Amino acid sequence: MVANTKEVKENDICVQRISPEEKRELNFKDDICIGCGICEKICPVEAIDLGDIGAIERNEIDESKISVDEEKCVLCGMCSSACPVDALELKLDDKSIKEMDEYPQLIKSAEIDDETCIYCKACETACPREAITIARILPDRSKLVTGEIEIDKDTCINCGVCEEMCPADAIEMEHHLPTSSDPTISSDINVNKDKCVYCLICKKSCPVDAIKAVCRSCSYGEYDLKPEDSEIEGSSFIDDDACVNCGWCEEICPVDAAKVEKSYAGELDVDLEKCNACGACIDICPCNVLSFPESTKPGEIVEKLKKDENFCIYCGACENVCPVEAIDVKRTDVKFTPTKSKSWKKQLESLKT
Amino acid sequence: MELKVDQELCLGCGNCVVSCPVNASISPEAYGGHGPKTEDVIMMVENGVVKLFNEDKCKRCGTCPLFCPTDAIYLE
Repeated sequence: MVANTKEVKENDICVQRISPEEKRELNFKDDICIGCGICEKICPVEAIDLGDIGAIERNEIDESKISVDEEKCVLCGMCSSACPVDALELKLDDKSIKEMDEYPQLIKSAEIDDETCIYCKACETACPREAITIARILPDRSKLVTGEIEIDKDTCINCGVCEEMCPADAIEMEHHLPTSSDPTISSDINVNKDKCVYCLICKKSCPVDAIKAVCRSCSYGEYDLKPEDSEIEGSSFIDDDACVNCGWCEEICPVDAAKVEKSYAGELDVDLEKCNACGACIDICPCNVLSFPESTKPGEIVEKLKKDENFCIYCGACENVCPVEAIDVKRTDVKFTPTKSKSWKKQLESLKT
Repeated sequence: MELKVDQELCLGCGNCVVSCPVNASISPEAYGGHGPKTEDVIMMVENGVVKLFNEDKCKRCGTCPLFCPTDAIYLE
C-alpha cells in the first residue's frame, strides 16, 4: 500500500496519498480553523489532535491549531464533512468532496438579499469575523437640496466669517496679505454650489449683509427634487472562508435582509462558580458569544462572564479552551444532507452529546 | 508545549499568580489578588521571583503570559 505523505507550510497541513488508482489529499487551513476540535472528535482513527488553542489564539505560540498523524490518517474525509467552517477539505483526484452529492454536507448558509438590503452597514460592523463587505454609492448631495445663493462682492468685506461658519465647507476665499497697492485680505470669494446645502447660516452670520440666499425646499417644498436622486445603491459580499454562520448579521439587520442557517444546535452552559474569568473562552469564541460584563456604576461587582447564546454555533471551542472546566457545550442536533452510508451517518450523529 | 519561567527576567509582581485560572480554583484567595496559601498551585512568588510548583497542572490557556510585564513566564 502507498504511504501517506505530509507537508506543513506556515501552519497549513496537507496529507496526501497518490496511488495508481486515485489521488487523495486532505488540506487544513489554519487561518480558517476556529479551534473547535470537531475534527478530533469525528476522526474514526484518532489521527487528529487539537493543539493548545488557548495559547495559540493568544499568540503565545506559533503552531497549527491541530496536528494530523499521517500514519494514522486514512484520508476518509469525515473531518472535512464535519468541520463547521470548512478549514478541512478532502479532495479526490483534485475534486473536493464538498462538491460531491455522495458525501454528506453540513447544512449551513449565510446570505444577504441585495433587493431588501438598505446598505446601512450594521452587519458589516457587527460581524465578528469581518466577513461582510457592504459597498455603497451614496446619492449626490447637491441633488438633495435646492436653492439659490449669491455673494455681493462689492458689499463683502472679506472678513471670512461665512467661510468659518459654513458647515458644508462650501465657501472658498482666496486669502492673501494686504499690500499698499491691494489693501484687502482676500482677492476673491466663491460658493461651491455642489457643496452648499442652502442652510442660510452664511446669510444670517454675515456682518454686512452681503449674502443673498434662499432654500427652495423650505419655501416651496420639494417639488423640484427627484425621489430617485436620493436612492442609495450598493452591493453586499460575504466571505465564505471567514463566515462562521453565527447569525449576528441576521440579528442586527433592520430590514431582515440577512438570513443565516446553522449546522449545529444545542446548549451552552457556563458554571459561574467554577469560572475564574481568565477570558480564554472570550478570545477563542469565533462568534462573540462570550464577553466580560461591564459594571454600570463604580464598585459594582458584576458576573464573571456573560453569554449571548443567540450567536452560538455550538462548536465547543470555549469548552476545549477553558482551563477549569466551567463550560459545557451540548450539541443536540447536527444538520447534514442525506447520505446512504450508515457509518458516515452514525459518525456525524455521534457529534451530538 | 510546557510552561516555563525565566527567573532572571521576573520582577516578582505576581500578576501571573493571580491571573492564572487554575491557581484560582486551587486557592480561591488568589482570585482577587491575594497570595495563594498552598504550594499546590502552579506558580507562586518566592523570595521575590516566580517559581513553578506544579507546572503539570497547567492547561496552557495562555492567560499568565498575557499579564506578565517582562515575558518572564511563557509557553514553549
